[in-house]
Amino acid sequence: MVTDNADLTDFKLKPMKCEFNYLSKSDGSAILSQGETVALVSVNGPQDIKMQSQSIEKSTLEVIFSPKGGKPSVGDRYKENVIRQTSETAILGCLYPRTGITVTIQELEDFGGLLSCSVNCVCLALLNSGVAMRCVFAAVMCAIDDSGNITLDPGAAQLETARAVMNFVFDGRDRSLITGFTEGNFSEDAYREALERCRAASELVFTFYRDIVKKYSNVIG
Amino acid sequence: MAEVYKLIHPVKHFNDYISLNIRPDGRVFNEHRNIKLNVNSIKTAEASAVVKCGNTTVICGIQLELATPKAEQPDIGFLVTNVELPPLCSSKSKPGPPSDHAQVTSKIVSDILINSKCIDLKDLCIVPDKLAWVLYCDMVCIDNDGSLVDACIMTLITSLKTLSLPSVTYDAETEDIKVDPSVRKKLNVSGTPVATSFAVYKHNQSNIILADPTAYEEEMCGGSGASLIVCYNNGLLCGTHKFGGSNLSADCQDVTLKTAKEKSAIVENVINVCKQDYESNK
Repeated sequence: MVTDNADLTDFKLKPMKCEFNYLSKSDGSAILSQGETVALVSVNGPQDIKMQSQSIEKSTLEVIFSPKGGKPSVGDRYKENVIRQTSETAILGCLYPRTGITVTIQELEDFGGLLSCSVNCVCLALLNSGVAMRCVFAAVMCAIDDSGNITLDPGAAQLETARAVMNFVFDGRDRSLITGFTEGNFSEDAYREALERCRAASELVFTFYRDIVKKYSNVIG
Repeated sequence: MAEVYKLIHPVKHFNDYISLNIRPDGRVFNEHRNIKLNVNSIKTAEASAVVKCGNTTVICGIQLELATPKAEQPDIGFLVTNVELPPLCSSKSKPGPPSDHAQVTSKIVSDILINSKCIDLKDLCIVPDKLAWVLYCDMVCIDNDGSLVDACIMTLITSLKTLSLPSVTYDAETEDIKVDPSVRKKLNVSGTPVATSFAVYKHNQSNIILADPTAYEEEMCGGSGASLIVCYNNGLLCGTHKFGGSNLSADCQDVTLKTAKEKSAIVENVINVCKQDYESNK
């Protein structure tokens, strides 16, 4: 789906700020803030891993999510699964057989939308690390309140009163749905509308990616 | 011969079936496997159910316990769900602490139950701030042949629908608790949440949607577990989860929603028949 710039002004996302190479020792790293939510991602690899986790067909992806405080829980396993499955679709793993790529996400601040912020930050860190990718991906989140209004990229207060919260991750080439997960209950029409609005809004995230890469790259101008 | 072919050229073997519009087990793309449901299978549990969808078998037992409610929310009880994947269910499960896959499945199942709002946790409170029920719902997978979440939700809801809570008298002064198992009250379950799994396979630049995939089909679509889970309760969606598999286009999405709606009507019917049968024989 292609949206022209006039349409994009209708879609407002929280301000995004990003810095590449935030960590000096990892192969790729990025820190991203979406509004007040901040995540830090480090990517290492392709590198050696132990025999039993090697795959002869593609590189093994390991995702570690570190919460701000407390021990890793079942909820964190779920987040790791979301991020692993999403990045696995995007990374061209078959170019690096018998190796491992490690993605570590550190939560810094969570004021709602941490998972979508983490997904976007992972994409930026992967771009920074130079791992070959099929496509870039962008996560957009929205909330539906009791009267059926859809709010894109909701804040912490809106999330508390929301009836349903949806997260979608889109492919950078044809904007098809890579990953999606929802909370709360909602009608089919609401789901469809939310999906389309998020799809259109993902354009803003992809534009942001392009701006960031341009800023850091001396070759691509 | 076909078995050898499957080992040597796994992708081509699968592709050949798909291009003939049929699946390796003989089903068409949107066909579900047979469902077998049995209630009250474990006599030592308060409520239980076993479900078999094709080869996938999951058993659920509910245990009751009394506890003091949390101070922040003194008027609600507890509902604890857990999915276990012991080594006997598949060659991929290993002994030891719960695997990532088991934890993710557990989380999806408990999310669906909470989001569907079919149980009002206030019903589980006996005396606010003093006494409330804890429902331990343990699901054990006996045979994991794909579409695990569907089977888990089905046994869980059937167990909850056949659960009745004993009456409890609480003396506020002496803090004496008396449980009378002979007088029971049914637990109120609103609606029947039904989950439907799909595998999304990319074939010749187009998406093929396989309903109720087997473990083999899930593996061919490149994920641990199903690629897409759609859950309906009372005609409302109460959870869509898409991980891995091929990317989903808008028209395929509509196909999955339609198939999920049809399946939820069938499963609802199965559960109701089973429940009525159980109640009339009691």
